[in-house]
Amino acid sequence: MTSHIIVFQSAADMPSLPMSVGTTLYNKTGSWRYVRPVYRDKTPPCNHACPAGEDIVDYLQMVVDGNYEQARQRILEENPLIGVCGRVCPHPCESDCNRTQLGGAIAIHALERFVAGQPGARRLPQAEKTAPAGAQVAVVGSGPAGLSCAYQLARRGYKVTIFEALPAAGGMLRVGIPSYRLPREVLDAEIAAIQALGVEIRTGMRLGQNPVRAGSPPGRDGLRLEDLAGYRAVFLAVGQHLSRRLGIPGEEAQGVLPGLEFLRRVNLGEPVQIGSRVAVVGGGNTAMDAARCAVRQGARQVTILYRRSRHEMPAIDEEIEETEGEGVKVQYLTAPVEVVTTVGKVTALKCMRMKLGEPDEGGRRKPEPIHGSEYSLPVDMVIPALGQEADLSFLDSQIDSARGLIVIDAAGATSRQSVFAGGDAATGRSAPSAVPPRRAAGPNGGGRPERGAGTVAYAIGSGKRAALAIDRLLNGQSLEGFPALGEHVHVAARDVDPRVVPFEDINLAYFSSEPRTPQGQRTAAERVKDFQEVNLGFSEREARREAERCLSCGTCNQCDTCWLYCPDVCIRRRDHAAPPGPGHTAYEFDYDYCKGCGVCAQECPREAIDMEEELKWRR
Amino acid sequence: MEKVIMGNHAVSYGVQLARAQVIAAYPITPQTQIVEMLSELCADGRLKATFIKVESEHSAMAATVGASIAGVRAFTATSSHGLALMHEVLHWASGGRLPIVMANVNRALGPGWNLGGEQTDSLAQRDTGWLQFYCETNQEVLDMVIQGFKIAETVLLPVMIVLDAFVLSHTEEPVDIPEPADVDRFLPPYQPQFKLEPGEPHSFYGLVAPEHYMELRFKMEQAMEESLVVAQRVGIEFGQAFGRSYDVVERYRLDDADLVLVTSGSITGTSRVVVDELRDKGQKVGLLKIRMFRPFPVAAVREALSKAQKVAVIDRNISYGVGGIFAAELKTALYGAPHQPVVFPFVIGLGGRDVTPQSIHSIVAYTERHDAPLEPIIWMEVKR
Amino acid sequence: MSYDIPDKELMSPGHVACPGCGAPLAVRYALKALGDNTVVIVVASCWSIIAGAFPYTAVQVPLLHTLFATGGSTASGVKAGLEARGLKDTQVLTLAGDGGTFDIGIQALSAAVERNEDFIYMCYDNEAYMNTGIQRSSATPWGAWTTTTPVKHPKDQPKKDMVAIMAAHRIPYTATATVAYPEDLVRKVKKAASIRGSKFLHVLSPCPSGWKSEPAQSVLLSRLAVETCVFPLYEIEHGEDYTITVQPRQKVPVTEYMKLQGRFAHLKPEALAQIQENVDREWDKLVAKTGNHCGH
Repeated sequence: MTSHIIVFQSAADMPSLPMSVGTTLYNKTGSWRYVRPVYRDKTPPCNHACPAGEDIVDYLQMVVDGNYEQARQRILEENPLIGVCGRVCPHPCESDCNRTQLGGAIAIHALERFVAGQPGARRLPQAEKTAPAGAQVAVVGSGPAGLSCAYQLARRGYKVTIFEALPAAGGMLRVGIPSYRLPREVLDAEIAAIQALGVEIRTGMRLGQNPVRAGSPPGRDGLRLEDLAGYRAVFLAVGQHLSRRLGIPGEEAQGVLPGLEFLRRVNLGEPVQIGSRVAVVGGGNTAMDAARCAVRQGARQVTILYRRSRHEMPAIDEEIEETEGEGVKVQYLTAPVEVVTTVGKVTALKCMRMKLGEPDEGGRRKPEPIHGSEYSLPVDMVIPALGQEADLSFLDSQIDSARGLIVIDAAGATSRQSVFAGGDAATGRSAPSAVPPRRAAGPNGGGRPERGAGTVAYAIGSGKRAALAIDRLLNGQSLEGFPALGEHVHVAARDVDPRVVPFEDINLAYFSSEPRTPQGQRTAAERVKDFQEVNLGFSEREARREAERCLSCGTCNQCDTCWLYCPDVCIRRRDHAAPPGPGHTAYEFDYDYCKGCGVCAQECPREAIDMEEELKWRR
Repeated sequence: MEKVIMGNHAVSYGVQLARAQVIAAYPITPQTQIVEMLSELCADGRLKATFIKVESEHSAMAATVGASIAGVRAFTATSSHGLALMHEVLHWASGGRLPIVMANVNRALGPGWNLGGEQTDSLAQRDTGWLQFYCETNQEVLDMVIQGFKIAETVLLPVMIVLDAFVLSHTEEPVDIPEPADVDRFLPPYQPQFKLEPGEPHSFYGLVAPEHYMELRFKMEQAMEESLVVAQRVGIEFGQAFGRSYDVVERYRLDDADLVLVTSGSITGTSRVVVDELRDKGQKVGLLKIRMFRPFPVAAVREALSKAQKVAVIDRNISYGVGGIFAAELKTALYGAPHQPVVFPFVIGLGGRDVTPQSIHSIVAYTERHDAPLEPIIWMEVKR
Repeated sequence: MSYDIPDKELMSPGHVACPGCGAPLAVRYALKALGDNTVVIVVASCWSIIAGAFPYTAVQVPLLHTLFATGGSTASGVKAGLEARGLKDTQVLTLAGDGGTFDIGIQALSAAVERNEDFIYMCYDNEAYMNTGIQRSSATPWGAWTTTTPVKHPKDQPKKDMVAIMAAHRIPYTATATVAYPEDLVRKVKKAASIRGSKFLHVLSPCPSGWKSEPAQSVLLSRLAVETCVFPLYEIEHGEDYTITVQPRQKVPVTEYMKLQGRFAHLKPEALAQIQENVDREWDKLVAKTGNHCGH
């Protein structure tokens, strides 16, 4: 039967009775509408929060479909250290996850680890070769920022050399995070993959010590900035490896070992004397790790002293729980005022109780001493873990710094031509970040630290940023247009509206509360005996189940709901053969017939359809 | 095979021989024997048809329409108020171009309740696009049911076969019931041109805008006009097959008649007797029986009356404000004809009041006595 | 594919239903469930127009338009005709509005199902005579505005319980459904198609024009009708065995449903409270009829 307008020339032309000979397809009811639906993917809160700029919703859909290798490649576009992040990231994505109110945030963190651990090709994804011939770039520091920068440059064809002060690569990943959180083999493999792209890592090369002699082999020789003049660009990612001081009498005593140094020795396998009764001072992840290492090293009694309350503790929630589970006692609202020694050895720590006053400029309530509340804690070792600082002694007058950090702009550029910086050294924890700090959403999946800055993911993002900037610079392009430092940078962005989808825009008719899948964990009694990994990750079944809980906020995942509810049958599925997942326009509206009723937009479970004024489209 | 049967059963035999496939009917006096016999025939398989025992005449015709457009031979029967109740559906059948055959037993309309013979019920439906045949005898009834299907299926219009209440419906007469094989030869199985067919997705009877409606109705009228010729041809074929041929009108002793009685239905039989009596006395009286009322056989009527001086139309019906309907239609047919006899429009026998040979004699006497009718409607045998 | 719904479309765009109308959705799903060996009979109603004017059609199955009161009778004839031709498996579906079912068509419907005619009768109920301009029917809910029950004198009779009337005929299958639950509707139509005898489906079909609601919210309203228990989804076998087929996840107050419809805007709190009470009572009665079990 025809789909055109039918014109009868005469009665003889017509059927004898009122009977159809054509279809209503001739009638383009699209002329009725004054608004039209448009498929428009928006930004889910997880993507918005990820400091490494991962496209979380995209790869979660791949996990749902069982395409783990594809998911891995998707993450690797933005972040080469997925096994690392899947273990140590404070997962701000989970804090913002809209599923929090429907049974708990998606366990994105554990899912990332699952993807990283799937068998499959270990190759890093290719990129278009944009490096000018023979361009060489120097990266100072092989922590996450440096590794990320090196990776993004090397895959574009740059010859990258990383100079690392410590005897092994990895920065804080190597020396700050113990292996029960980040197994060495995971870290080694991910660094090796980057090296396999042709990146050279020269350990034992500390910026700021003895000048290098031409031709001298890598070793205990040092570097100055001038020695890097031969490189077309330099990325400074020296991190913050200096411990902040306690600032109280007695802290020079033997038995007071700064947390970073303690962890470094433990992680590098160097001998370290552990006390029997240990006090760790501080509330961050370093403090937690120091305490847990002390337990594993044989300390009988480990106490953490924190000057604010649990609510203000910056360490990741799960870390605090695991630490307490391992028998570490935490005393809140207390701060040390004096290290007591006897015969030069630490015997006690005098402390003062605190109360919380008004919030400071970072938003956390200031601790105020309660006079007369001193008490003494018998300890034989004190590990201060009060925060980190960068060693910027190598800087010359051409590179600006402020508040102990290298000043960078949105492109990651320092004040010196061709020198970039990133990671903790450029934006450290003490600096106000571009986005105000957020509190944890609750016991399920909430992270503690201020958004982004100071985390591994942030460092990875900043390394990526600098690599993209360097690539532009060396190709003679402008460095304008980078997103602000608090915003993330993408390598392989989908065409997505920057509007972030809030929970109110999710259509709750399509979802019920389903509990979050917990990750397996070794028992506390078991795990304190060694440095084997504490968390056990997801099985495939658990991973699929958890990924399926993802609401896919703002991102079409081909659920067919719009197609199902169109009263005018004018939503068509396109190309079933195309790989599924967001970013592929899986449907198209037949605007010849769409009346603009808006049922599709109203029903879309995840706010992926907008209604727009028709006149805007008809010019 | 000859049997003495009532008119209602003649209908039933006709339907059985025509091999109707679906029957939907609701009982109403004096039609009930039609459906009762058909129920029995269906129940014991002598007629392979589905009998739908609907709950009203409106539903009866709707179901018949449904069956017909589904592509099968469909039949129903009714009378009087039942016919009136199915009025809107009659339009659906004709506009739907469905070859349905319906038997209507002419019965008076109330109030008050009246079961007697009167033609107003069927004539009140004369604008619905149905063919109408008025039967004089039970034989004619049976024969017309069979011919009705053949005509209907040729022109794609529904056909109403009309018989008088009690005088025909309940009176037993000898009727020759044809052999099934002979009927099968005369009336092959129904081959619908348009029907509901899975795999051929057409919509039927939907909204028709003014830009198309008139053409469809024009085509209906064309079919209606064609049906006159078809009826004549079928009547001849029937004669060849069964020895009884039919025309749209019947002329009885008409050729040299000065005075012509125009009748329809069973009154024709009574009138024949009177015409014979008067002819025996030397009066030049003739009879024109109008068999096909729709379409009105204008040419045949004009031709038959081309030499008559006076025409007495006997109407057992009335259209209030106009008079006898056959008379009115006949006058319309004569309008513009070269020869204009004087038409005497008689209304008689309403509500089943008996029409006897004496009544016909009175009609003839009046017509002879007067040059023209004394009033627009000549009411016979009414206490004024 | 996320939904258990047959893929094939038997309805085309270009039909002239109002934007957001529930009726084309109901029919779209019903046709998917039945497939192309189906004949549809459309009683005078909105679908008489939606189906397309001569010489066009909006569905890919044979469709017969018929008079207002003849939904049950025409279907009986069509079914008999198809069977006489040997097409015993062709489904006959009558599509009628609430007018053609509850009011002018109730006689023929009752008769057809009393005879247990083998067809599916689907009433798409938009709760008024919408095609003629929003006049009240016996399906109009208590308190609603229509053009013949204006605000000064809204409908003051409760909605006729057509499902109970059908169940009282002890037909093999009676069910309610609505467009927000297409899988439930499709399952019920398929189930109906598998049974010989009379099957009655009462499908709530939101009408933005007559309910004075947003076109975009028709599916939402349909869902709310179920979640508020205003329009429970259940099925009845042989007039006796009741099963609720979609359990509301949580019972939502009726005001949530009614506040989205202008036809209820004039109702005062006492009236709304009365409606809530009525809904609660009817729901409890229904649950009692199921023997307190919920299927599916």
